[in-house]
Amino acid sequence: MRTIVFREIREHIQSLQFVVLLLFSVVLFSANGIVFARKFQAESAAYAATAAQFAPNTQYVFLTRQPNPLLFLAEGGDLDRPTSYYMMAKGYFSASAPRPRDYKLPDIPKLDWSFLIKTIFSLYVVLLGYAAVSGEKEQGTLRLVLSNSMGRVRFLAAKYAAILASAMIPLVVGCVISLGILGVSLPQVLTRGLASRVLALLALSAAYLSLFAFLSLLVSSAMRRSSLALLTLLAAWVLFAVLIPDTSGILAEKFAKVQSDYDAAKSVGPMIQKEIWGKIGALRPRIDKGELKTEEAIKAEADRAFEEGQEKVRFFERSYEDSVAARASLARSLARISPVALFQYAAEDLAGSGVDREQAFREDLRTYSRQFDAYVLKKMGKLVGQSNWSFSTSVELNKKTVRIESPHAEAYKGDMSDFPRFAERPPRLADGVKNAAADIAGLLLWNIVLALAAFAVFLRADVR
Amino acid sequence: MIGVIYKREILDHLKSAKFLIGFGLTIAITVAATVINVQDYGRRLQDYRAAQRDLPANKFEIQIFRPPELLSILVQGKDRALGTKASVNYLHIPDRLTGYMLSGSGAPRPRSISGFGSVDFAFLVRVVLSLLVIFLAFDAVAEEKQSGTLKLALANALPRSSLLIGKAAAGLTVVLGSLVAAAAVAVLIMMVHPMVDPSGADAARILSLVAASALYLTVFYTLSLLVSTAVKRPAIALMVLLQLWIFLVVVYPHLGVSIAENFYRLPTDREMAEKKNAAFAPYAEELKKVQAAYFGGDRASGPGMRYLELQSLRSRLENDVDREFSLRLSGQLGLARWISVLSPAALFNRAAERYARTDIEEYDRFLASVERYWKTKYMDLQLLFYKDLPAYRKAPTPPFDHPAERTAEAWIATAPQIVVLALLALIFFAAASTAFLRKDVR
Repeated sequence: MRTIVFREIREHIQSLQFVVLLLFSVVLFSANGIVFARKFQAESAAYAATAAQFAPNTQYVFLTRQPNPLLFLAEGGDLDRPTSYYMMAKGYFSASAPRPRDYKLPDIPKLDWSFLIKTIFSLYVVLLGYAAVSGEKEQGTLRLVLSNSMGRVRFLAAKYAAILASAMIPLVVGCVISLGILGVSLPQVLTRGLASRVLALLALSAAYLSLFAFLSLLVSSAMRRSSLALLTLLAAWVLFAVLIPDTSGILAEKFAKVQSDYDAAKSVGPMIQKEIWGKIGALRPRIDKGELKTEEAIKAEADRAFEEGQEKVRFFERSYEDSVAARASLARSLARISPVALFQYAAEDLAGSGVDREQAFREDLRTYSRQFDAYVLKKMGKLVGQSNWSFSTSVELNKKTVRIESPHAEAYKGDMSDFPRFAERPPRLADGVKNAAADIAGLLLWNIVLALAAFAVFLRADVR
Repeated sequence: MIGVIYKREILDHLKSAKFLIGFGLTIAITVAATVINVQDYGRRLQDYRAAQRDLPANKFEIQIFRPPELLSILVQGKDRALGTKASVNYLHIPDRLTGYMLSGSGAPRPRSISGFGSVDFAFLVRVVLSLLVIFLAFDAVAEEKQSGTLKLALANALPRSSLLIGKAAAGLTVVLGSLVAAAAVAVLIMMVHPMVDPSGADAARILSLVAASALYLTVFYTLSLLVSTAVKRPAIALMVLLQLWIFLVVVYPHLGVSIAENFYRLPTDREMAEKKNAAFAPYAEELKKVQAAYFGGDRASGPGMRYLELQSLRSRLENDVDREFSLRLSGQLGLARWISVLSPAALFNRAAERYARTDIEEYDRFLASVERYWKTKYMDLQLLFYKDLPAYRKAPTPPFDHPAERTAEAWIATAPQIVVLALLALIFFAAASTAFLRKDVR
């Protein structure tokens, strides 16, 4: 068996597809190293400049996300998310600027490891494996090989090992180049933690590429002509890598039982009318009846009405964002039918990026928001909740116009050396593995099913 | 003689399993993608119409909604990604669109909620049909050479050029027939949907899209013919072609965008903010005073008018900075396009998005219309508030107008891409002919 494996690897290494894959791997992983080193340097500089200008303020805090040095593994949409937020009392957040900034460029995936592996390497596994059985059948060498004392299982296992090894060699070369470039530009990134993540990602990649190797063997065993086997495999690749993941977003919007963007927007106007202006309007009969006799009493009641109304608006906005997150979660669940999506999401978890990281960041924001609220309460004696909206109107009291406005938080003038600072929890590999467990299990299941199918078909194949 | 070869080749293609698999896949993807996209379009159009009808508007803050593009069903481009709403008020001239719901994050809707892209007719042509073309053409000459039928065929009184032209014409007929069938299926599905109502201009744009697709596929066909002629074994021809396909369709355009994204300098958010502040700095003090007087209760038309003028000036000055940034972004995109100028996939994509009105230029045109509206109709109305309050109260909300791009303008804009695609097809065919005339057919 070892002889066949080495012979096959030698043949693969001499093939055009291996040489081109190696070339692509060197060029693309070099580009990956250069691009992400530059990005991280730029983001770190911006983060440091913002952090240096941090000024304690009881009205609002400006919070900036710490740049993630692991995005070169799997960017996971991180570069398209806002980098900084304004946070106000009672947990109200607002992004400081929309992202991505360079929105005019075509929407293509970032050049991270996960993209290269899920797209280019999976395609090359197919190109390395499509003729594994059908090619030998066409040349008539299959029956010669099997006429020796070589079991079919061992023959197919050897072919599988050779395909996988031939794909992993350029991958490891590329990864080493990328890490080398990053190490030269950003030596602080090369840590033991990174080594664990890289090894975990390589193991995940092997599991992912392995299923394409089994798929190639299955189709190659089932078909007599190599060109047909290749066409079928490319159709399967398009289905897995593009069709299923790329239609999941639109399908989720159709099937998700959550408010659409428009439906949510439609509710805001009536809600403000009812919750804010309704409450303010209710003050007028009370003034007429003489229940509110002074300007101070009116303003105090108006503040309470505005606060309660704004709280409802804030709650509604939070609910809407939760529904958007639920819809995204459904889209990801639908995409998981494809092993490409399983790999992508698991890679994001291992890189500490993607949706799970975003959720962890939001949890950190909520934790900090509670600390901020407690601090403001201690210093100011009250918390003023605000939202995107501010309101003002006037009422008549004893034929005098009283102007009432939605309340604004005030700045504390005293010592704020004990002001709480925001700290993100750094992404832990153990959490990443835990989050990725279901996706990894899915990949292994694909491997088992395709391996069983490939061996079953090959064992029953007519090799003449 | 060409006619005989043409008929035989067409029959061979139509009977082949690879054509049947490829064609079946093409039609299946066309049906699935168009059904999904047409329903999505219907939903977005419904939301747009309802938004125009229902969402609250007042004369101070006017909401402008961008309708979904009909042809986004075939070429999604940037249509879904770049937002649907511009809120027009005197404090800001919109430089980007948002979703209907300006949520807490304030960001436009993300590119894709699952983290992946989209599937449409343009994808079908760019990826699936171009692969089918390779599978139909890789063995056009190499197979005949390997099986020894090439020297037999040429032993007859058959000029080499006739054989190549016959093969090319037959292959292209099958490929373009598949393309037209897929386009017809897509258009049929569109027409069945009750909310789809294409105009004459839309029909012309669909025809242009199909023509650009045909040209793109012709490039891949002639390239396949060249490789099939130049190499000895069909298996090698297929491998060479697939490597070229991966490079031209996946790697090369990607590298172009990556280089532009990372090596084209854009001003930072901080620099933009500083530039905006500096532009308005000479008026900042005056605005503070006027603002204090106006909100302090002095509602006479003098301070009110001046307050509006200063806010309007600030919006205009900030808009100048935003426009400069937008031009930088266009420069960045231009660099990506220049780098990918020899990628047929990038050229086709650009032309297809232009015909479908789903490219970034259409978005820029829409924002230019919003800016024009703000500077003329909207500000005239705001000034009327101070000049003639009764007239202001009677005045209706001025209608927003966004003139549609004429199809001829799209043709002119896409002429460079079409010319380069045509040149590539001609060069590949000329090279294939030369290689075939010089080929040792033994």
